[in-house]
Amino acid sequence: MAGDSIPLLEMRGIVKQYGSVAANAGIDLTVSAGSVVGLLGENGSGKSTLMKILFGMVRADSGTMIFKGRELSGHSPRAAIGAGIGMIHQHFMLVEAMTITENVILSLGPAGRRLRKREVSRLVRETSERYGLDLDPFAVVGNLSLGRRQRVEIVKALMRGAELLILDEPTSNLSPPEVDRLLSVIRRLRAEGKAIIFISHKLGEVLEICDQIVVLRDGSVVGHSESDACTRVGLASLMVGRELDEVFERSTASPGLKLLELHNVSVPAAPGGSGLSDITFSVRSGEILAIAGIDGNGQLELAETIAGLRPAKVGTIELAGTDITNTGVADRIATGLSYIPADRIGTSLVPSMTIGENLMLRDSHRAPFSVHGWLNSSALDDNAHGAISAFGIRAPSPNISTKRLSGGNQQKIVVARELARAPKVLIAVQATWGLDPGATQFILDRLLRLRNDGAAIVYISSELEEVLALGDRIGVMFDGRIAGIMSRADADVTRIGMMMGGLETQSSVEEIRA
Amino acid sequence: MSADIGQPARIRSPLLAVHPSTWRTIFAMAAGLGVTALLILSVGADPLTAYRTIALGAFGSLERVTYGLNRATPYILCGIGVSLCFRAKVINIGGEGQIAIGGLCATWVALTWPIANPAIAIGSAALGGIAGGMIWASLAGGIHLGRGVNEVLVTLLMNFIAVLLVAEALHSWIGEIGAGFPQSPMLTANYRLPKLIAGTDLHIGILFALVAAILANIVLWCTSLGFAWRIFGESRMAARYAGFSRGRLTIGVMALAGGLAGLAGAIEVMGIHYRLIEGFSKGFGFNAIAVALLAALKPWAVIPAGLFFGFLETGTQAMQRQIGVPSSLVIVIQGVTMLLVLAAMGGLRPKGGS
Repeated sequence: MAGDSIPLLEMRGIVKQYGSVAANAGIDLTVSAGSVVGLLGENGSGKSTLMKILFGMVRADSGTMIFKGRELSGHSPRAAIGAGIGMIHQHFMLVEAMTITENVILSLGPAGRRLRKREVSRLVRETSERYGLDLDPFAVVGNLSLGRRQRVEIVKALMRGAELLILDEPTSNLSPPEVDRLLSVIRRLRAEGKAIIFISHKLGEVLEICDQIVVLRDGSVVGHSESDACTRVGLASLMVGRELDEVFERSTASPGLKLLELHNVSVPAAPGGSGLSDITFSVRSGEILAIAGIDGNGQLELAETIAGLRPAKVGTIELAGTDITNTGVADRIATGLSYIPADRIGTSLVPSMTIGENLMLRDSHRAPFSVHGWLNSSALDDNAHGAISAFGIRAPSPNISTKRLSGGNQQKIVVARELARAPKVLIAVQATWGLDPGATQFILDRLLRLRNDGAAIVYISSELEEVLALGDRIGVMFDGRIAGIMSRADADVTRIGMMMGGLETQSSVEEIRA
Repeated sequence: MSADIGQPARIRSPLLAVHPSTWRTIFAMAAGLGVTALLILSVGADPLTAYRTIALGAFGSLERVTYGLNRATPYILCGIGVSLCFRAKVINIGGEGQIAIGGLCATWVALTWPIANPAIAIGSAALGGIAGGMIWASLAGGIHLGRGVNEVLVTLLMNFIAVLLVAEALHSWIGEIGAGFPQSPMLTANYRLPKLIAGTDLHIGILFALVAAILANIVLWCTSLGFAWRIFGESRMAARYAGFSRGRLTIGVMALAGGLAGLAGAIEVMGIHYRLIEGFSKGFGFNAIAVALLAALKPWAVIPAGLFFGFLETGTQAMQRQIGVPSSLVIVIQGVTMLLVLAAMGGLRPKGGS
């Protein structure tokens, strides 16, 4: 809209290095008053880092930021707010027991102390009316829907004089009507001359609301254009932007019997999480089904439902032909189901306990670890020594507590334990999260070996590269559903990217391409 | 620091491992006595005389020693249960009520069945006490699990119900007619615990306590059930992931603690009073929490911690009688010691992520 005028914000050559990883590798970003800029990218593409730098939460290694003609340097969130930058975080920062007015007064800091409640509530009402926020200044925040709470955050930012609003994944917790409402608020803000940075991975929303779209990948801008000139297909391939490459040596899959089958599995959403709706798929012996998707689209719930940590309300789960829908975790372990959850600390490992104890965490009541209820300490030791040498766990002794190990060595304990059972089916979620390349390679290699030995593996990850490298078939989850499953040969990054971005199902992709 | 509360770094030598925290605990006890000296000065007594009186009151004669050992018995029994519960992060503060119900059930068995053989008689009454405590504690566990009420609240409130139930029973069906005081009739001789040392008050209860502490230590470190409780206490998420049943582990550890407390109640009835009297359980259950914490939740360490409390009580009671220091100072000494010990151990800090 106002693209030709002097930009409100100009970020130039922003670099931020974390260890050997460049989170931001020289990013330029320009935002004009009265416009909405969409920032699109996968997890870990550098969006959050860039915005943290802009908001003063993280200091850039190099680069300049000019806001309203003045350079921002080494600033703090407080300075950013003072300059006129407001950030609406994904997780709201509100005191639930207080009213909207009180929350606004709190956010104003020392200046707020001198204000009268009545004045502030009048201002809240005016702001709310001006931007169509529909907020009652005296409503208690704890009673509000998430959509309204988000608008309270917007009021807070506006009343602190924000001219640039950063919305971080603003629609991730909202229901569809609330999303529509938010988009109309954003249009009002734009019409009033505010600048907005809209961070999202949902292609549809970005195309709908943004004037310009900037696509980040691996810390660099890989695409920047007016949104009118963009297509979903184009954006999806920009966002994902890789070709399939064979990272690992692998034999071609020779799938055998169906070892895991899900039929129409549905799980209601827990507060703050996703549910599952109507999940149906099967995985055969000697096959890896890799599931991609942006975090929070039901992957965790799917893994927990198969592992028995969450009851399937509807549908059936079969393991090697046996119905396990209503069995507990222990029974599923005994039937040959292993599970590597995403959360290491406190779920798959007890940090304060020893390596040996963690290696028997899920098998302690079975031989050889215990006989008639008595722990067998020599079995524990033998097993621990065996796992330490077989998996190259770097530890002086099996009796030290796991919290003293590196993440890679910790995860090796989990993998060693889950593979030791010679499982028929393995569910692994983000199994290489936070690990160095060596440990990552080692663990993926072990999973491939397990597949070659005839297990069925479901590998869930938001790292597309891993999904593409591992999967014999590749599935995509979006909004608690399987958006599609395709064979490795048919996998195509554009298609996967579109499914990850939602709004597209397998069939509609076919239509577009046809 | 929280790691020092209970996980020796190795699994194989836990039985008598002297952890650094043990030394710190001993140091804290000494520091507690130092602080108490100031309090004794403040009431106008000479601390050194006071400490000598305490020492003599606790250890001055065989009779005093036996008195202290009897006193320590319910602390040890109940403290073992508390330490297991706290290990599993099931915060059971219902020892008081479980002791009361245990005493009531043991008395009921003793008054109902006139069994001639003392071993069988004492055994049945003890089992009655254990069963009563187990049922009472399991009930609390059931309410906690079934209705989601915080276990601290359930066990605390059930203490009042239990103590009042005992009082009510003494005022009605189990009370001695015409006694003028809420107490049951005397137990017959075959229901009285034999003396460990002839001519003293020391009964065989302390043996039960010692055996129970050793068994509890073995259960905790050498069985898969103990392993499950330790995992459960470290991380609920990990326990769920490992396939342990939250209900079974919670009820199990509560029932075990309740059974031990019930046994303590039965021993008080059969070894000290020879009858059920109103308020006989007073304070044991709560002090047992302090004992368990003092023992850093190690079942074997509950023995010295319980003895410390037992002797401290008998000693300070003597001090009160002989040099007129108020008995409330006993409680102050215990409180100060507890605070210092907990501070020395870094406290029961909740673990992140669980």
